[in-house]
Amino acid sequence: MSADERPGLYVESTIIMTTVRVVAPFVLTFALFIMFHGADSPGGGFQGGVIAGSVVMMLAFAFGIDSTRQWLDVRVVAALASGGVLVFVGIGLGTMALGGQFLQYNEYLPYYSKASKYGIELVELGIGGIVASVAIGLFFLLAAGFGHAAREAER
Amino acid sequence: MIDHLPVLLVVVPVLGATVPLVASLYTDRAGWGVAAATMLVHAVLAALLAQQVRTGGVVSYAVGGFALPYGIELVVDGLSLAVVALVSAISLGVLAYAGQAGPHENSFYSQFLLLVAGLTGMTVTGDVFNLYVFLEITGLAAYGLVASGREASAAVAALKYLIIGTVGASLYLLGVGYALAATGTLNMADLSTKLAAAGYDSTLVLTAFGLMVGGLSVKVALFPLHTWQPDAYAHSPDSVSAFISALVSTVSAYALARLLFSVFTVEFLTAVPAARWALVAVASVSIVAGSALAVSQSNVQRMLAYSSVSQLGLVIAGFAVATPIAVLGATVHLVGHAVMKGGLFAASGIIERETGATTVGGYAGMGSRTPLAAGSFAVLALGMVGVPPAIGFVGKWYILVGAIEAGLWPVVAVLLLSTLLTLAYFARLGERLYFAEATIRDEGAVADGGEHTDGGTTVSTGMLAVVVLAAVLAVALTAAVPALEQLLTDTLPPLLQ
Repeated sequence: MSADERPGLYVESTIIMTTVRVVAPFVLTFALFIMFHGADSPGGGFQGGVIAGSVVMMLAFAFGIDSTRQWLDVRVVAALASGGVLVFVGIGLGTMALGGQFLQYNEYLPYYSKASKYGIELVELGIGGIVASVAIGLFFLLAAGFGHAAREAER
Repeated sequence: MIDHLPVLLVVVPVLGATVPLVASLYTDRAGWGVAAATMLVHAVLAALLAQQVRTGGVVSYAVGGFALPYGIELVVDGLSLAVVALVSAISLGVLAYAGQAGPHENSFYSQFLLLVAGLTGMTVTGDVFNLYVFLEITGLAAYGLVASGREASAAVAALKYLIIGTVGASLYLLGVGYALAATGTLNMADLSTKLAAAGYDSTLVLTAFGLMVGGLSVKVALFPLHTWQPDAYAHSPDSVSAFISALVSTVSAYALARLLFSVFTVEFLTAVPAARWALVAVASVSIVAGSALAVSQSNVQRMLAYSSVSQLGLVIAGFAVATPIAVLGATVHLVGHAVMKGGLFAASGIIERETGATTVGGYAGMGSRTPLAAGSFAVLALGMVGVPPAIGFVGKWYILVGAIEAGLWPVVAVLLLSTLLTLAYFARLGERLYFAEATIRDEGAVADGGEHTDGGTTVSTGMLAVVVLAAVLAVALTAAVPALEQLLTDTLPPLLQ
């Protein structure tokens, strides 16, 4: 079902668009803030990732779901999801390569003095990427509705 | 690398699961190759681990190098090794089957590998909270796989599974919370001593036991909590039903056994007879009700699903009896049931493709039309009933002997009754297959088979080979029972006393 078959679903509103334009950078910053706080205070990749994903949802409400879908390349979403897993696994396997256990951050200490802290931060960022991309992907899938699934089946 | 086997077994499938996702930007059919390569690596790692456990005993791994019991510990002993090997072998078999039978999408294979990661994680973990995490990974991947069926009924079945499965996992998590409140630790080995120190009759410990066992019973699909299972098995694609019927409930039953023996220990069961009796009662009701429901089904896949309710009840009953011989029997039946039930679902998929038959009535006279698939189906069904020398016989026999030794006569009666009921529904199918007039005309098969949008009606050699192999294994695994017994007595002495 294309957008013009369902008129009235998206209303272009200057107020919403302006607000979202102003708020979005702050929400994204807040998402990163939460992610970076996973290591030593409440927060982390799961919560931060959801907030980062909500930025895209906000944009979709303001500028229309279809145009946001076109603007956001699917490759970015896929890269965030697999990249997040790869960062996590890569850090874990790296410590093993250096002779430690899986995810034994202190193996990196000879190379960088704050390795334990920033190792965890990187893992949190990876998780954040996964959660954000899954939230975005689910939102677009739900928004596409059953018509999308039927088209997929026909292909 | 040899020291890192337990964690690599989990990490490799996770790593493999990311590849089809990226590959789907370029091609839609890369998933199978990636999954096959990943599972081959997984099988090699499992074989190396088996070697290590057989020569060096229990393998323990501290994730992140944190001092135990504060960090997450992975533990592989004889029981978990048997389940790891099972997961690896069945995943390879299902892949050989899915190569032709589909689904072929990349996303399917990503979820498949995530499910393998979850199942392996549940098996190797030595930490009750980590077990919850892997339980959720397993659950989420399984919901997605069930929903990969084309029909709307698959989506409904997946939703039902999602809701009930989440309640089960949450109950388990709540139980973990109570155990943590009682002891302040999450490590299984540490919990087993600290729970004893907290007192087996303390309300916290009892509540934790009830919630954790209740939550896992949902995942195992014991009788009153089984309602998600028949729909999920019957409405998902054939490859998926073969996979999840063989592994998801099996690994959950393993987790339940792990809780009983490594966390609460046999002393708890002795100290709190009510807990043991409750478990025995649920398992017995599950055995009888599952069999009775299976007898009353007309759809073959639903019958197989209800049969799982009954057979896994049997396994849990064996674990609840908790004498060494009963635990061995339950483990044998756990593994044997997985091989046989996976094979039965795969065979029913082939029979449906070749003849269009899905019901007991439709199976009439199909024995000559699909000789290999129907023959394997019959062998597997007889194995499930417990006809010697099949593995099903050995498992049931040991559980029976254990129950007699322990003097649990109600269990003995239920066991014998259930064998009769199992015979009732599988003999009916065998009779239909070989001694009844066909009710489906040959042409009807083509018209019916057209419903399969993915994979068509063609049956590949790989699919047939998997089913025949399952039938052969159902008999041949009997020869491996002494080795398993040796492995269990070597690595689980405190568990079995």
